[in-house]
Amino acid sequence: MGHRWGMVIDEDRCTGCEACVVACHAENNIATVGDKEAARGRAKHWMRIERYYEGDFPEIKVRFRPVLCQQCDAAPCEPVCPTYASYHNPEGLNAQIYNRCIGTRYCGNACPYTVRFFNFFNPVWDKPLNLQLNPDVSERSVGIMEKCTFCIERIKAAEIRAAAEKRALKDGEFNPACVQSCPTEAMVFGDLNDPESRVSRLSRSDRGTKLLAELGTAPKVTYLKRGAWHNGQNA
Amino acid sequence: MDKTPEQINQDLLRPIYHASWRFYASVAVLASLVLAAFYAWGYQMYYGLGVSGLNRPVYWAFYITNFVFWIGISHAGTLISAILRVSNATWRRPVTRCAEAITVFSLSIAAMFPLIHLGRPWLFFWLIPYPSERGIWPQFRSPLLWDFFAINTYLTGSVIFLLLPSFPDFALIRDRSNGWRKKIYRIVSLGWRGEPKQWHRLEMAMRIMAVAIIPVAVSVHTIVSWDFAMAPVPGWHSTIFGPYFVAGAIFSGIAALIIAMALLRKLLHLEEYLKPLHFDNLGKLLLVMSLLWFYFVFAERLTTWYGNFPSEMSVFWSTQSGRFSPLFWAMVFCNFIIPAPILAIKNLRSKIGWTVTAAVPIIIGMWLERFLIIVPALSHKYLPYAYGTYRPTWVEITITVGTFAGMGLLYLIFSRVFPIISIWELKLGMQRKAEAAAELASQEAAAEQP
Amino acid sequence: MDRRNFLKISAVGGATAALDACGKPERQLVRFIPEEELVPGIATWKPGVCTQCPAGCGLRVRVMEGEAEVTRHGQVGLLSMGLAKKLEGDPEHPVNRGKLCAWGQAGLQVTYNPDRIRFPIRRTGRRGSGEYEEVSWEEAIKELVAHLPKAKPAGKPSPLIFLTEPLHDHRGVLIERWLAALGAPAAVRFEFFEQTVLRRANELSFGRYQLPTFDLANANYVVSLGADFLGTWNSPVAQNRGYGTMRQGRPGQRGKFVQVEARMSQTGANADEWVYARPGTEGILALGLAHVILNEKLRPVTGAGGAGARIDGWSKGLPDYAPEAVAKLTGVEAARIERLAREMAGHPPAVVLIGGAPLAQTNGLANALAVNALNDLLGSVEKPGGIFFTPQPPMADLPGLQAGISVQALCDGILKGSTAVETLLIYNANPVFASPPAWRVQEALEKVPFIASFGSFVDETSILADLILPDHSYLESWVDHIPESGTRQAVASLAPPAMQPLHHTRAMPDVLLEVAHQLGGEAARALPWKDYAEMLQAAFEPLRTHPGSISAKTADDFWSTIQDRGGWWGAEISTPPVRENLANPPAAPVRVTGPQFDGPAEEYPFHFLPYASMQFGDGRHANLPWMQEMPDALATAMWSVWVEINPQTAAKMGIQQGDLLEVTSAHGRLEAPALIVPGTAPDVIAMPVGQGHEHYGRYASGRGANPIKILAPRAEAETGALAWASTRVKVRRLGKKGELILFAGGLREIPREYRHR
Ligand SMILES: Nc1nc2c(c(=O)[nH]1)N[C@H]1C(S)=C(S)[C@@H](COP(=O)(O)OP(=O)(O)OC[C@H]3O[C@@H](n4cnc5c(=O)[nH]c(N)nc54)[C@H](O)[C@@H]3O)O[C@H]1N2
Ligand SMILES: Nc1nc2c(c(=O)[nH]1)N[C@H]1C(S)=C(S)[C@@H](COP(=O)(O)OP(=O)(O)OC[C@H]3O[C@@H](n4cnc5c(=O)[nH]c(N)nc54)[C@H](O)[C@@H]3O)O[C@H]1N2
Ligand code: SF4
Ligand code: SF4
Ligand code: SF4
Ligand code: SF4
Ligand code: SF4
Repeated sequence: MGHRWGMVIDEDRCTGCEACVVACHAENNIATVGDKEAARGRAKHWMRIERYYEGDFPEIKVRFRPVLCQQCDAAPCEPVCPTYASYHNPEGLNAQIYNRCIGTRYCGNACPYTVRFFNFFNPVWDKPLNLQLNPDVSERSVGIMEKCTFCIERIKAAEIRAAAEKRALKDGEFNPACVQSCPTEAMVFGDLNDPESRVSRLSRSDRGTKLLAELGTAPKVTYLKRGAWHNGQNA
Repeated sequence: MDKTPEQINQDLLRPIYHASWRFYASVAVLASLVLAAFYAWGYQMYYGLGVSGLNRPVYWAFYITNFVFWIGISHAGTLISAILRVSNATWRRPVTRCAEAITVFSLSIAAMFPLIHLGRPWLFFWLIPYPSERGIWPQFRSPLLWDFFAINTYLTGSVIFLLLPSFPDFALIRDRSNGWRKKIYRIVSLGWRGEPKQWHRLEMAMRIMAVAIIPVAVSVHTIVSWDFAMAPVPGWHSTIFGPYFVAGAIFSGIAALIIAMALLRKLLHLEEYLKPLHFDNLGKLLLVMSLLWFYFVFAERLTTWYGNFPSEMSVFWSTQSGRFSPLFWAMVFCNFIIPAPILAIKNLRSKIGWTVTAAVPIIIGMWLERFLIIVPALSHKYLPYAYGTYRPTWVEITITVGTFAGMGLLYLIFSRVFPIISIWELKLGMQRKAEAAAELASQEAAAEQP
Repeated sequence: MDRRNFLKISAVGGATAALDACGKPERQLVRFIPEEELVPGIATWKPGVCTQCPAGCGLRVRVMEGEAEVTRHGQVGLLSMGLAKKLEGDPEHPVNRGKLCAWGQAGLQVTYNPDRIRFPIRRTGRRGSGEYEEVSWEEAIKELVAHLPKAKPAGKPSPLIFLTEPLHDHRGVLIERWLAALGAPAAVRFEFFEQTVLRRANELSFGRYQLPTFDLANANYVVSLGADFLGTWNSPVAQNRGYGTMRQGRPGQRGKFVQVEARMSQTGANADEWVYARPGTEGILALGLAHVILNEKLRPVTGAGGAGARIDGWSKGLPDYAPEAVAKLTGVEAARIERLAREMAGHPPAVVLIGGAPLAQTNGLANALAVNALNDLLGSVEKPGGIFFTPQPPMADLPGLQAGISVQALCDGILKGSTAVETLLIYNANPVFASPPAWRVQEALEKVPFIASFGSFVDETSILADLILPDHSYLESWVDHIPESGTRQAVASLAPPAMQPLHHTRAMPDVLLEVAHQLGGEAARALPWKDYAEMLQAAFEPLRTHPGSISAKTADDFWSTIQDRGGWWGAEISTPPVRENLANPPAAPVRVTGPQFDGPAEEYPFHFLPYASMQFGDGRHANLPWMQEMPDALATAMWSVWVEINPQTAAKMGIQQGDLLEVTSAHGRLEAPALIVPGTAPDVIAMPVGQGHEHYGRYASGRGANPIKILAPRAEAETGALAWASTRVKVRRLGKKGELILFAGGLREIPREYRHR
């Protein structure tokens, strides 16, 4: 059986530290756009930490929710793409073929999670910041849509390594950059086709929800709701 | 009609032979605006789409607004003309060619916008299904592909629809000219000699085209509406969008036609041909469409409001009372509150000036409507954290202005090349009318006989 | 039928036929997507140590072959070399166990920063002009040596001062030895968010001049008084790890977390219960909680020698801290104090943290002592789920934590003429940026005849230097680190350079050693090592014979193994002797009262709370584009600075989001845009520290305002540490908009104004 990569994000663990945000930048050659462009709504964060306030001072609560591409099984971003640049790979990931993207940005509209990022200009790395670029991840030029890939380069590397060693991949053997970095272990990544993997077990949790589940996008990311404290009892 | 056929020929062919300084001045002004737009486009291609005001989440804005708007305007012509032809409305005769020309030009302009808005426009041909050596076809499930087919079909149909009834008039110019003009019109009149067989074929073809073009026109704007309705964006994903867009298109199309006709009437001195009756009749149509438009907007808003889905309400309130509300209420004024009373009062509607007064705000209002469908929705998708907003830059404004100038320019040139009123159809109409009058007279005479 | 199959089956007949002709489109497609050609590059993972903050997390550095454009002596050339591509946590390291924080992740942009000083430079323009010429290393060192005293001048104080950031590694040891050999006083250590108060409190309560380590993973009830322990404070990665486990790592058991503060921090945003208390009254609140516990006999009172002994009135059951009295002072209702106390006592292990603003008040030490006593009362000291102190590795010399002379005193001396400083050496400390204006640091430094800096960047302080001898980055040099907190094991991290130096730089320790050799005499004798690596080998060798993570027979074996592993860690010690050196208790117990503020409340109605920014810390990370563009977790601002104000207060003053505000204290004024934040108290104005750099490279310079520049020079009463949370301010709208770049659109998940009516 092939792999079906998925993720679980525990909102009860996430503290909004944003290590994952920077890890994703470092791993995936995501260029910073600078203040002027950021002010125009063009900052690129494949992973973002949404924060929502509830209530008013002093009875105030905040929720942090890491949002990345949900790797939808019924991804609205795919059928709208006229060039197959946004496509479903054999492992069920929503892959983005940068070469083929002509920049209609239709996928960006169709994605309900607003996690697709367009390159409005060519990316700039002031030398020698470019020396940091990860050679396993292609750079994206102007006019192209980009997004979280579940760190497909890491997936491939692990699969190749396992194949060379003639063995199956172990659960948790490798992780996308964001998951790897997360200090609270709020994120768990793995194979949903393996019912015993951590990610499979956690996604069956009764705290589990899908983001915008009502839209029928069938995301492969499961969110575990924040718990509440009722006099010491877990809830 | 009191004019003799020769008077008609002279009146309607005058613009082909004579041009005033005003014509050249207008061409110069419009052409420079068009050049400015091309400069802006070139600038955008060189530096990237970032020179526009687009952003995440508002990935579509002015360009797609213009696209939808011009597609809408294109319904002025072919559709209206076809409907009038099919329903055999006799008053249509001086109107059809003006209308069909609007279609061809506005459609051509509209078709540029999907290219202008591309991130990598030089790769636009990847949208075209052709067998490449890589064996990769475009995605046929994408409404953008449907657009490609729909627009091409409509454009082809409209060009044929415009050209078919032009051959007799080209032949007329050929016969009345000499020198280079004769040569050119000989070629473009494709050997029209006015033989009965040719007339018969022309009438057949026009009858078929008139029927065939109606579903094409309806489908085009329906498919354009599906660019939005197929995407799960709050405020877009609506079953009403197909008819809503078609109605809006016809609405703006008629308004555009009224304005074009009024201008032609003044500039080309066609007062004898484009009469208040025509404006009155188009005004009635416009009133119907205004009411229909209002009905659609009301129905769409009411169901959204009553349904009260959080994501949709964000879009809803942003247009009713939020950031976009000034534009929304301006739109309601332009599309309904100003034109509907004017058009409903017969005394006003029958005056050309008033009909035009009703039509001009509709053009503005319908542009706003397209903008308000696109931008507030994209600004307020599901996750409030990712809300955004939009402000156009000089590039988008220049290109937008340039397309209006381009429309004027193309139309101006057209009126110098084509008789803007179909001469033979007008004459045919007069002939029919005369025949009918004669018939009536003879019947009456017969009836009078004891 | 789903969307995916919609058209395949239905519409566009001709085209579908064409598709069918070439088989299933998906199949067809895959052939042209070169996923199997996506061959990952060969990477080696080398150990490292994160020096982005004092926590000292262990690193694994992903190194891959690449071609770097390097400049040597004005010549540009391509060099094929191993380049650091990604930083990850070392999975074995006891502090961070494979994890990193955002600053740690962004560390690559220190090494590759385009504004790094690439070779030694000598000032050519006037001081502060930023005009330099390149000099050779030989010349630079010669010039440095020429400005150093050969030995201790007889009878008078040395004219040499070394100003450095606090160092938790052998660079610190080396600097002290070097200074001692030259007869100079101990280094002046400076950082804005200093930890003197808490260390001193722990010394008084527990006999440890050290930051605490919290066993959050085993805690059931966590109360934090102002400590941003999930963001920037103490050992954030270790604390986040523990917090994650506390929440969901123990099946069926989820700890409660209460945060008490006056401005909701990123940490506070995670609280189950967020409590507003008036700034500076945290100690009173802690004693209020203790009062309830004592009064209701929820916990047995600890015997003499406990941390309670430091608190006035403790043995009598804290009669002055009854809930009603405490409620009046703190603003926390009496019923809530009682409930919280009962919950804490009823759900052991419970632990209380204090950090940040409560310690930066004039009564900071009293606040900390009160919390220590409460922890002791809860039975949480050196117990699972409580407070621990990281054991220190058995090495001959450990980097000192004791505060020496302060920058304030130094500058005072220079300005008054009582301290004659001829030569000032600066290492990564930036007091010109990070000190209140009344300290007059820049003025003082400008009086020093010769200043040399070892920093990698030109900042507000090093721009005053006459000579800059740029250090390697921490990925290019030998690094070690002895964590003060964050683990219950003794740790000594160590890593060789992960990559070759990119520029013509030299490691500061190697320069000091070279200088010592050139000076000869006592200096050369005191520092006999040929380079820093040799010194480290000597320093780490004693660990070989102690039980720990490495067992090696020979010194060479140990030395190569420790380099591979990224350090040595001792066995986990559960009950180290803590209270043994409580030898010298102060005369009288401390009375915990409210703080003093700077500026009369009538004129300056708001408390001004600067806080460590999760993007920039104390400002040192402001030159990293990743940090500038990373949205602040709560404000979601990028490339910005802002003034946080409560919504009601803003409404009252007619202030809207983004309005440019003028914030004035008795010591200065600044301008910054308003950010309306529901989690800021009505009488508080909060502002992140870190922006407002004048000189700090292209990404940081000229961006926003620096809140430190309006702070009062008030000190914590007992320790003299800067009480940076004690300033009061007033606020005025300037009638224009400021530059506020926000990543987020909405504030609330279901926008309130769009709710069902
Ligand atoms: N100076 C220099 N020249 C070189 C080389 C060099 O190292 N230096 N290397 C040589 C070598 S080894 C090679 S292989 C060649 C490569 O030369 P090219 O084959 O020209 O390679 P690319 O630049 O990768 O461009 C291929 C084009 O295909 C487009 N494309 C991507 N996806 C699709 C698609 O789905 N359909 C269509 N129709 N087009 C698509 C891309 O946008 C791009 O414009 O260059 C050779 N030339
Ligand atoms: N990002 C990115 N990656 C790509 C591509 C891309 O377009 N973009 N293109 C892909 C393609 S199509 C190709 S073909 C590959 C090319 O990938 P490589 O084969 O890695 O190409 P080069 O870097 O051109 O050359 C490899 C090395 O050969 C050395 N060399 C030159 N002449 C000689 C010689 O005579 N003898 C020996 N022993 N060594 C020599 C060069 O100095 C260089 O170090 O890259 C692929 N990877
Ligand atoms: S922007 Fe690119 S990926 Fe997205 S729909 Fe357009 S072509 Fe496809
Ligand atoms: S989250 Fe958005 S980008 Fe990702 S697969 Fe779903 S629709 Fe596509
Ligand atoms: S999975 Fe990889 S690409 Fe996606 S957000 Fe995480 S780090 Fe970024
Ligand atoms: S790294 Fe983990 S804890 Fe931090 S913001 Fe990301 S998901 Fe949340
Ligand atoms: S807490 Fe962050 S910055 Fe500090 S050492 Fe650890 S990874 Fe580095």
